[in-house]
Formats: sequence, C-alpha cells, structure tokens
Amino acid sequence: MRTLQGLAAEQQLAISKLQSKYGESVILQDLLEIDHMNSQFGRRAQSIAVLCEGWLGRQRDVASVYDVVRSAQGRIRHFQRVEILSQVDFAVTNRAVEPVALALAELLDNATSYSAPETSVEINVRAVPKGICIVVDDAGVGMNEEEKARAAKLLSSERASGVSGLGNPPQFGFAVIGVLCERYGFTVSVDSTSPYGGVRAVVLLPDELLTSMPQPKERAQTVSTVPSLNPSGPEPAAAASTTADGLPKRRRRRAMAIVPPSSETTGAPMTTGTPIRSEEETASIMGAFQRGTQSGRAALPEPAGRTSNAHDASSEGHEVS
Amino acid sequence: MTDSERQEPEAAELVRPYVITNGRDLPDGDQFSLITLVTAAADHQQRPARLSPEEQSLLEMCSGGYLSVAEIAGHLRLPMGVVKILLNALAEGGYLITRAPVARARLVDEQILQEVLDGLRARFG
Repeated sequence: MRTLQGLAAEQQLAISKLQSKYGESVILQDLLEIDHMNSQFGRRAQSIAVLCEGWLGRQRDVASVYDVVRSAQGRIRHFQRVEILSQVDFAVTNRAVEPVALALAELLDNATSYSAPETSVEINVRAVPKGICIVVDDAGVGMNEEEKARAAKLLSSERASGVSGLGNPPQFGFAVIGVLCERYGFTVSVDSTSPYGGVRAVVLLPDELLTSMPQPKERAQTVSTVPSLNPSGPEPAAAASTTADGLPKRRRRRAMAIVPPSSETTGAPMTTGTPIRSEEETASIMGAFQRGTQSGRAALPEPAGRTSNAHDASSEGHEVS
Repeated sequence: MTDSERQEPEAAELVRPYVITNGRDLPDGDQFSLITLVTAAADHQQRPARLSPEEQSLLEMCSGGYLSVAEIAGHLRLPMGVVKILLNALAEGGYLITRAPVARARLVDEQILQEVLDGLRARFG
C-alpha cells in the first residue's frame, strides 16, 4: 500500500511533467497552484508519518542549503512572505535533505501563522564553528513562558510519542521537529526573541550533515571553461565546438542555398594554389561574421530594436492585406 | 529503506517552480515569445547579490550574446512560463536587453502570383 506521503510525491512528479508539457500555456499558473497545494499536503502527510515513526519519503540528492531552505519555503501556505537574506556555500547530505526541509517548513509555518500577514519572515544562514545556523525571525507576537516551556519539552526527548497528547486539533509542529532532531542529529531552539519582537528559531546543522556544494550541472562547467566573448572586439574564427554559452556549435552540412554552387567548381581550377575551404572553415567564418554583426547590434541596442520593430510592423501589415 | 523504495523511478525537483518565481504571475502584456532574443545588459557586473541561482545562471548564460527564450528554457530545465516570468523580472530590473525576433521574410502577394500565372497561361497555355 502506498503511503500518503508517497502518493503526494508521486503526484508531485506528475505535476512536474504537466508543468513542462504545458509550460507555455495559460494553465501553467493553475498547475503551479496545484503544485503548491500538493506540497503542503505532502508535508502534512510526512509530519504525521514522522510522529508515527513512519517513512519520511524517498531520499533526495545532495542539495545546497539554499535549495533546502527554498524547498521548505515551498511547503507552507504563505511562502511569499519568506525572505532568504543570506546564504552559505554548503550543501546538506542526501540523508538529511528531507528531514531538515520538513523541520524548517514546520518552523516557517509557525512563523507565518503567528505573525501579521503583511510582515515578512526572514531567514539568515550563517556558518558557525559547529556547522551552520539557519535563523528564522518573525515579527509576530512571540511566545509566553508557558508556550516556550511546552515547545522546549516537545523539542527535547521528554515528549510523549504519538499524536494523542498534542491537543485537538493537534499542534504537532514542534513534536515533529523534536523527533526529526533526535533521529537525524541536528538541533532547533526557539527560546530567543527576534529583533522584531517575535520568535527567533535557530536550526543548527552540525558538520556531519553538511558537505561541499554539489557539482554544478555539466552546462555550467562548459560555461566556466570557455572564455567569455568580448562583445566589443573582433571575434577570431573559433575552432571550439561549443559557443561561450555552452551550446553546441551548429555545423552546416551542405553549402547554403544562397551561395552559388558554381563558385567552388568553376573557381577551383583557376585558384589551384589556394586550398578549397573545408565545410568547417566556411561555417566558422560565417559564424564569426554573424557574431560580428550581433556584437554590433548589442552595442547599440536601442536603434536595433527600433528598426526590427519597424520591420515587424511592415511584415505584419503585409500579412493582413 | 527497502528495495522497493530505491526502485522509485525519479523524484520531482526539490525546489518547486512557484518558489523560483516567488509566486509571481506573468504580466498580461507578455513581451517574450519563444524566439525573442535576450542578452545580458552591458553593466551586468553590478547585479545585486539577492538574485536566485536560477536568475544568476540565466544572466550568465545570456552574457555571451543573444539567446532565444526557447534555448534558455531548454538549458534551465524549467517550464517555459516560469522562464518567462524570470526574464520579465530581470528585464524590468534592467539586467537584460530583449530584441524582437528577426522579422519574417516578406511574403509575395498572392494576387501578383495569380496574375503572373494567369498571364503565362494566357500566353502559353
């Protein structure tokens, strides 16, 4: 039998496929909304599973702390109120990605639920000697001593297991975080006050849960190895098979139709001394010419835009007639 | 983890696209089509530090010359609409320059062709 969180993950994958399939359509907006609701649903299912000692979901790949924070952000209702103000160059180990994201999502849910809708919730990520801290500050009403004591108890190992002792309706945010902290070895404290008078929650991820940043995808590597184009200078005929953007350079297989085919056949006997250009050479010369005109246009974007608009208008007018 | 869990085909992206767009809608007067060309503005070195990784890689990608919106979407592996929302925000911030797609070749008036055809038929047909 599928778990609820498993079904939510499956549905998330289906929604992702729909989003790329209908990415150009107006229904994308609706798909994004459904995705958002599904994420919240998945989080609830995961939280309940955590309290019942169940399965959290499938393991993720190593992800940057920033992405884990944004993943957590996406799992709460008012995610637009969350602002990530600073970040670090660390990643979270694959084992800890989901638990940290889930714990942080519960904190963010509390922060946005117990503060005014027009206030924002700020996240700062800092490197500390023991690891990194994710600091969540809200501008809410804060917690009184009784609430703090309850939170501290739930976050510690003293808590009762199960959902029965969490009230009706159950307030299980802190209990979930407590279980996750114990199981995965990070700590959360909510006993300080934010600069805005609300709650400051601090997640401390120890070094054991951290790793170096994941390897950038291959396209990013290509970009870094190829020197960037100098838009103002002339471009040498590039022998590289990729452009500066990491795109494969297109090679023309045949002569262009506008080039008279006779130029090579008739011209060859007369200029026997000069070798005939290979297709690659011709292509690179054409490419250099095109880049030259492009850099010229890039230098003067305003007039170029205007002339092309004028072209547009004339051609459109023509189609209508 | 049991074996059946390991055999799960794939997971959806960790960071959801609505977070990447920060819940922004595409404005009504959408200036981007699939073939709109985009390049980074010349002074993009002064870009703010608060850009998301997606926006940063988008700007990096466009810094070498003009790229079409379709190519950018392919490289970022994001839905087209999401890319358009990011492009729109970056263009509004002045980090991107957009250029309308190259105008289509002018089509010959069908009526003229018909007249030529009629004339040829009248003469040789």
